[in-house]
Amino acid sequence: MLELKPMPEATVSPGVPKLLQEGYYVRFTDQWPLTLPHVKGKTFQVEKTNQVPYDITRVIPGGNYTDVDLSNATGGENIYPENTKTLYETILGFKPGNYLVHFYIPAGEYVHRLEQAGMVPNVASATLRYLGARKPEDSPYDDKRIFMYSVKDLEPLILRLLVDNGVLWEKMVLGLVVNKCYLKQITPTAEQLARAKKIDYYTELRW
Amino acid sequence: MASIVVDMTATTMALVAEKRNAKVKPSLIMVDNVDALADSQLVFRDTFNTDASIVAATGAAAVAVVGQTVDRLRINVSIDACVSLRDELKDVKFLGAASVLRSVAGVLTLDAGCHVTLGYDLE
Repeated sequence: MLELKPMPEATVSPGVPKLLQEGYYVRFTDQWPLTLPHVKGKTFQVEKTNQVPYDITRVIPGGNYTDVDLSNATGGENIYPENTKTLYETILGFKPGNYLVHFYIPAGEYVHRLEQAGMVPNVASATLRYLGARKPEDSPYDDKRIFMYSVKDLEPLILRLLVDNGVLWEKMVLGLVVNKCYLKQITPTAEQLARAKKIDYYTELRW
Repeated sequence: MASIVVDMTATTMALVAEKRNAKVKPSLIMVDNVDALADSQLVFRDTFNTDASIVAATGAAAVAVVGQTVDRLRINVSIDACVSLRDELKDVKFLGAASVLRSVAGVLTLDAGCHVTLGYDLE
């Protein structure tokens, strides 16, 4: 449900669409919880799509951080679907600046950590603030490479934006394109299943 | 790319309004002080609103600030002189609104004969 697509080693012509398109298949793994019965273990075909751009901006001092909640909870940015038949494929890119971004889902639980005890992101640490952090150059605003997938009632995905030391103030601009996908459940054939994009639950990113 | 010319008919003149999702990147500053009555000291000021945050080292809360200012550039231009800056601006950015203040010998002073041109991009 959260992917950083690396720079391609080669290009193909004609190009391959970056976002889910009409007619594409998506499959939610069995790891999705019972509290999300509308998607758990199910396969869908994308019936229609609509791309909605949105920018989120924060200006804070160097050495400080702020959290951006993408969910529809109070105080959130409301970037989650409200319809059980809708999947949001959201791509995220950053305008240049001296800042780092950590991902948490749900709040307080790191997406990116290593296995050794204590190797977890920590914005208060001079060294661990760089662990698991994405930098603006990892996903440029004009070439977004971070993909997030959300459905109705998914736990909140939190972006922790840290302005690194060395600047007085920084303006952080997060560019989003929400690819709204309207889904139709199908009973997939073996071929459809093989072609379907697998969408993991966030717990599968942590082991 | 856009540009604006202002005459210093007030001690502080607005140049570019804050754009929430972009920084102002100046590409050209030209000051024509030929018609002015005195040497000019010009300060290019950045004014922006900040968001609430938390100090990473201590966990202390930092409140949002409305109208935070930072001076980004200061130049002196002699009477009868006309100067332009281009390469010197490559590392100058405004987070919010850009304005220019004119002083003479440390005292804010208007002079309609001092003309300021700003060329800029929004990025």
